[in-house]
Amino acid sequence: MNINATIKTSIRALKANWGRSLLTILGIVIGVMAIVLVIALGQGAQKLILNQVQSIGANTIILRPGRQPTQPTDAAETLLSDSLKQRDVDALLKPVNVPDLQTADPAVLVPGVISYQNSVYRATVLGWTPNALGEVFNVYPDQGSFFSQDDVKTYAKVIVIGSKVKQELFGDSDALGQFVTVHGQKLQVVGILPSKGQVTAFNVDDIGLLPYSTAQKTLLGIDYFHEIFLRAKPDADVDQVAADITATLRETHNISDPSKDDFFVVTQKTIVATVSTVTQVLTIFLVAIASISLMVGGIGIMNIMLVSVTERTQEIGLRKAVGATNENILLQFMIEALILTFAGGVLGTSIAITISALVSTIAQTYFALDWPFTLPLGAIALGVGVSTAIGLIFGLYPARKAAAKDPIEALRFE
Amino acid sequence: MALIQLENITKEYTSEETATSVLHGISFSIEEGEFVSIMGPSGSGKSTLLHILGLLDRQTTGSYLFAGQDTLILSDLERARIRNASIGFVFQAFHLLKRTTVLENVMLPLYYSQVPKKEYEQKAKIALEHVGLMHRLSHMPSQLSGGERQRVAIARALVNDPKIIFADEPTGNLDSKTGRSVMRTIEKLHQQGKTIIVITHETTAAEYANRIITIADGLIGSDREVVSTHSHYAK
Repeated sequence: MNINATIKTSIRALKANWGRSLLTILGIVIGVMAIVLVIALGQGAQKLILNQVQSIGANTIILRPGRQPTQPTDAAETLLSDSLKQRDVDALLKPVNVPDLQTADPAVLVPGVISYQNSVYRATVLGWTPNALGEVFNVYPDQGSFFSQDDVKTYAKVIVIGSKVKQELFGDSDALGQFVTVHGQKLQVVGILPSKGQVTAFNVDDIGLLPYSTAQKTLLGIDYFHEIFLRAKPDADVDQVAADITATLRETHNISDPSKDDFFVVTQKTIVATVSTVTQVLTIFLVAIASISLMVGGIGIMNIMLVSVTERTQEIGLRKAVGATNENILLQFMIEALILTFAGGVLGTSIAITISALVSTIAQTYFALDWPFTLPLGAIALGVGVSTAIGLIFGLYPARKAAAKDPIEALRFE
Repeated sequence: MALIQLENITKEYTSEETATSVLHGISFSIEEGEFVSIMGPSGSGKSTLLHILGLLDRQTTGSYLFAGQDTLILSDLERARIRNASIGFVFQAFHLLKRTTVLENVMLPLYYSQVPKKEYEQKAKIALEHVGLMHRLSHMPSQLSGGERQRVAIARALVNDPKIIFADEPTGNLDSKTGRSVMRTIEKLHQQGKTIIVITHETTAAEYANRIITIADGLIGSDREVVSTHSHYAK
């Protein structure tokens, strides 16, 4: 029996009932589509997040109060913790403590809104150092300038605002030199940032920046920081710098037991590791769920194949009468099952790739997200491979039933 | 050596403790080149006998030598090979594959044979020429008349150049005129040297043969040589 003729016969049999064939493979199509889509979108999202993480630079280290969040209450503790203070910044900046540290920029988050006359806008208001944004994110005001180191020392009531904040509060009229109100205090606008959109975790357009000292003392009346942005010197060993920072803080906080740390250090490396772990676990979880639909699809194929074997009893009998062996019949039905599932795999994979490309295009065009379209070759191989394997597994039983048919019974079947 | 040699063949079907005996001891021989009709009323066991002769079924007891070969010891695979190479079947219900052209229907046995692929089409066309259907090569069975369908089935039985052709009620689904034409086609094959065994309950069809064996209640009723009365070639 030549294989080409068998394949031709199988395709003819499938085409004869093409509507049913299509419905048969629907389960496989959906299952494979789900798997490939989950992997493709997962990879795209992971790359998007990692790109953003990487844009903060490998030399950036973030120091946060409280504990490394491993459960929801830890995050609350981080927000409420008052462990990071000026003395920590001073200690860190001493070269004897952290030799490879370049800058330490404390940050204070000011909750609430910015208002000007009758306009109110909920912006991200941040007390920071004069040059942190420029140095870390490479963003500088295109009108006016950042506040100065002197402004920090003198608790100056000044603010630099993002383009969206300016637009919302002032419209097209001039904002520079005007006074806005934050937390009951009037702050003079000294700089306006160009429109940059999302930069890492910040939407620069949506930001209000003031001296951290002003935010701390004048606006909030606190003596601690919410975050300290640190930069290692170029070519420094970031891990070593992070270790030095940890050691310094333990000393200033009198902590001997590392499990009692009231701060934690985040580097690009630790974020990347966390993000990768989370997305991988999520992807595996979703693929496992999608696999169930693939199994259901396989059972569907088996069902329809069994019906088809019964319907084609006469054909099987005739083929046997003219000399087909059991193996010939087995092969014919196995090939039919394989063609079905392979087609289902290819179709499902194609749909998934199309959707994935569409999602990345939409994300890039309408949301200005740098969502890369990735062609997950592994996922394609997995989708087509698994669907073919499903064909082998679930096609075997109907094919064996077909092969076992007695030619006399089969020919008598009317 | 006889092509077919039956010695006391019996057949019993057992289902749920009840045994139904269909053949009670059939013995006869058929030489190569004979044209034999096996006649009998329905339920006489003639179809069962044909299935055993055609290696589609096995006897319960007795010996059946096909071309000198004891068939009882043959495996399913060996039986399939013999059916493919040495036996052609023609059925009452034609059993052509739907949605498959006449040419491909005739080629079907070749797919399971040792014949090189490049000879398929030529062999099928020769067989179709024998039955006068060269003008219907790419038709579907549904586009053919009953007589034409049966002639396609005969071409399919012929295509592998078998030693013997078994026809099970070949005219059963046809009107008498078409039936005669189909019987004449079968008779022509006999003239060309094929061994033919026709199972029928119609006397008109049976009388094309040179020998008529009648079966009743699982036993041979009569076995006689006849002069083919319908034959154009009757001596």
